Amino acid sequence: MSDEFDEIQGIFFEECSEGLAVAEEGLSAMASGDVSPDVIAGVFRAVHSIKGGSGAFGHNALLGFSHRFENVLDGVRAGRIEPTDDICQVLLNAFDILSDHVAAAQSGSEPPADDDMLHRLDMILEGPSAGAAPAPAAPAPAPEPASDEFGFVPVAAQVEDFDPFGFEPVAVAIDDLVPAPEPAGWMVRFAPSRGAMANGSEPLLVVRELESMGARITGVDREKLPSLAELDPEESYLVWDLALPASVEEQDIRDCFDFVAPDSKVDIEKEEAVVVPSADVLPFDLPTLGAAEPVALETIAAPAEASPTVVALDLPKGSEAAKPAAKAKAQGGGESGQTIRVDLSKLDQLLNLVGELVIRGSILSDRLSPADQERVELPELSRLTRQIQDNVMSLRAQPIRQAFSRVPRMLRDLMAETGKKVILETTGETTEVDKGVIEKIGDPLTHMIRNAVDHGIESAEERLAAGKPEEGTIYLSAEQKGARIIVRIRDDGRGINRARVLAKAVERGIVPAEASLSDEEIDALICAPGFSTAETISNISGRGVGMDVVRSNVEALGGRLEITSVPGEGTTFTMALPLTLAILDGMIVRLAEQRFVLPLTNVIETVQPEPGQVQATSPSTEVIELRGKYLPVRRVGEMFGMGSSRPPEESLVIIVENESSGHVGLMVDTIDNRREVVIKSLEDNLHPIRGLGGATILGDGAIALILDIDALVSANGVGGKYAVKGMAA
Amino acid sequence: MSTEEGAKAIAERKIVTFTLRKQLFGIEMSSLLEIREWEDPTPLPSVPSFVKGVANLRGSVIPIVGLSERLGWEPSELHSRSCVLVVAIGSRHAGFLVDEVVDIVSINPDEIQPAPDAEVNDASAIAGLVKIERRTTEAGQDEAMCLLLELDALGLARQLPELVA
Repeated sequence: MSDEFDEIQGIFFEECSEGLAVAEEGLSAMASGDVSPDVIAGVFRAVHSIKGGSGAFGHNALLGFSHRFENVLDGVRAGRIEPTDDICQVLLNAFDILSDHVAAAQSGSEPPADDDMLHRLDMILEGPSAGAAPAPAAPAPAPEPASDEFGFVPVAAQVEDFDPFGFEPVAVAIDDLVPAPEPAGWMVRFAPSRGAMANGSEPLLVVRELESMGARITGVDREKLPSLAELDPEESYLVWDLALPASVEEQDIRDCFDFVAPDSKVDIEKEEAVVVPSADVLPFDLPTLGAAEPVALETIAAPAEASPTVVALDLPKGSEAAKPAAKAKAQGGGESGQTIRVDLSKLDQLLNLVGELVIRGSILSDRLSPADQERVELPELSRLTRQIQDNVMSLRAQPIRQAFSRVPRMLRDLMAETGKKVILETTGETTEVDKGVIEKIGDPLTHMIRNAVDHGIESAEERLAAGKPEEGTIYLSAEQKGARIIVRIRDDGRGINRARVLAKAVERGIVPAEASLSDEEIDALICAPGFSTAETISNISGRGVGMDVVRSNVEALGGRLEITSVPGEGTTFTMALPLTLAILDGMIVRLAEQRFVLPLTNVIETVQPEPGQVQATSPSTEVIELRGKYLPVRRVGEMFGMGSSRPPEESLVIIVENESSGHVGLMVDTIDNRREVVIKSLEDNLHPIRGLGGATILGDGAIALILDIDALVSANGVGGKYAVKGMAA
Repeated sequence: MSTEEGAKAIAERKIVTFTLRKQLFGIEMSSLLEIREWEDPTPLPSVPSFVKGVANLRGSVIPIVGLSERLGWEPSELHSRSCVLVVAIGSRHAGFLVDEVVDIVSINPDEIQPAPDAEVNDASAIAGLVKIERRTTEAGQDEAMCLLLELDALGLARQLPELVA
């Protein structure tokens, strides 16, 4: 279909994922005991709006499921269903299936199997009164209305595509008010505005949605239909009469018209076959319906022995006034800060431009004489530039909750697969991180959680035997420390079995058999490529591409991964990530005349070695003596195969700090200057390269590669597996 | 225009032809972003030798690939007509070093023949063979075999597990 349609549909799916996040948060709160009306109503609204949109876009499977899900939630909201722990669990599981439905609708793939879940939802809905006679299934489609030339046949057939909805008495509040209602129903008269199709409110979809609730078309008013010669196929001329079973709630009917063009005419009337309710027991609360007085429209031929209560929903023109009640309700009356949706690439572009501006500013400043640099315009200009930069960055900042939100679902799946019981505790979800970081930590996070459940947390029996609570706990936390975000995943499981890890690493040839390694070094082995300790390949983890990928991903982000483990008490994975992926404060250094950027974050000091200060300890390793201490030195040029032949005395050694290796010296030829650089990723067009954190474009248009200090420092570390290969050219 | 001609125009594909070691190659015109003069790119560590380095393409960093080596032949020798074809492969951009850009020609997809397997190291990179007319008749030859390249197969993205292994 058209791009425009795709775009609108794209917005729908975006809203779906927001809605799912809200629903999941609410359901999780319910599961942990918070069943306040606000929470329940929030979940209901989220599911309801997913349902609304899915109908409009014709995602029938999603519509069907969300409708049944919503019914149960409505019951909980109205207090008819007690939100016990068991029921909350079912709701959470139903939520998972709803997520799958949304994903299936989005990808156009086969909808998930939901029969079992629908059955469970129905069980809840029937509740204690399950013994009540099941409601009749949706009425069969009406005998062919004399309007088949308009193609209603396929529409009617669609009813078969739906599972017959269970119209249990429990869903109908009216039953409590109206004594002994006979099976009667709702009469709906729907006259789409002439321009309805131009507005995207395709009447067919509305009719289908009504049909999904058991509506049948009882008549079509073709009076306005012009002769074929005058017919404009893009206009809507017909007026439909539909009949719905009485068991349908009026609100549900009205919801179908949520998105109908404002000047369409919709009349909903209740047809009571036998009992005429007295005025004080009107089956619904009229004032809330928007139109003040019930108005019977002459156009409606009142059924013979019915006493209709007609509500005219003559939607006012002008969209501000349209759908007033529904919309206000959907917002939950909550604060509605003005927001706009912006394509992320536009923000990226803006950030790039501001970055360039900052760089030009510092180049300009460099070129001026010191006296001119202090002129008031220049500091003012750079201050403003800074402010713009900070603002743009804050636009991209998002709470890390977005990355955490997929964890609960995953844990539920993992618990089902492994039979282990795990509680998740999260803190610091509101910590704001650059959107790019959030997008990229999802996979590493997923993998670490899987590892924690699969390898860390013991089975319930094992835990009890060890004197631990039966349920394992995974703590997920985020906090900001300086220019870094620290994300921790801690479990209270069995910890890393170092003897086994080492044995495995020797067996796989990752370390030599005679190697003597510290505990930390052994822990780090689980990140070695091709390492997996799982005895049997489970479908959760243990495919051998586990922690090494996690580590590469984290490092590709300019972050660090650390592992600490206490046998019997658990393991902690700590990811230290940069706050932003966009800008970096660095030193421009030269290696064999090529310029590189060394990030300043870890730089301690720079040393100009005296003759004899740098000494070899083996043909390939050197140390520098600094104030009585010997620190390892790495010749960066040689690591990159650039053959820096300069003697140490003519080089510079930059001492950097690294959490795993302590202080290490990096030998470079010279240092040009210090500069803020805009990070350009290599993987946009190529792929991440070990030892490099990206590239940047210098003032003269040349490219300088950004060094990844952590990778360089650990390059000759355990096993030598990480040695950086030679430069290509 | 008769309907027959119309259908033919639609079916025709435009390709850019260029040479590597005197052999004629072609890529889809629609993938070509621009043609640039050769400038030494910034070399990269830890990459296969056919990746010559990275260059600045209006603010983004793109890899420059020696196409001849990528296809398994000797590296191209640089000369005054050496140039870089900047192409889009999916959402990624890359520059390919070629010996000389020749022409833009229309070909009929029906005339493309499948490539024999043993032609190059990476046979999948050759989408097919097609005979095209040369505008300049060199050495009396006015038709030449052109190897059509499958750009997707030349993609440079590598999965992380491969990288660290």
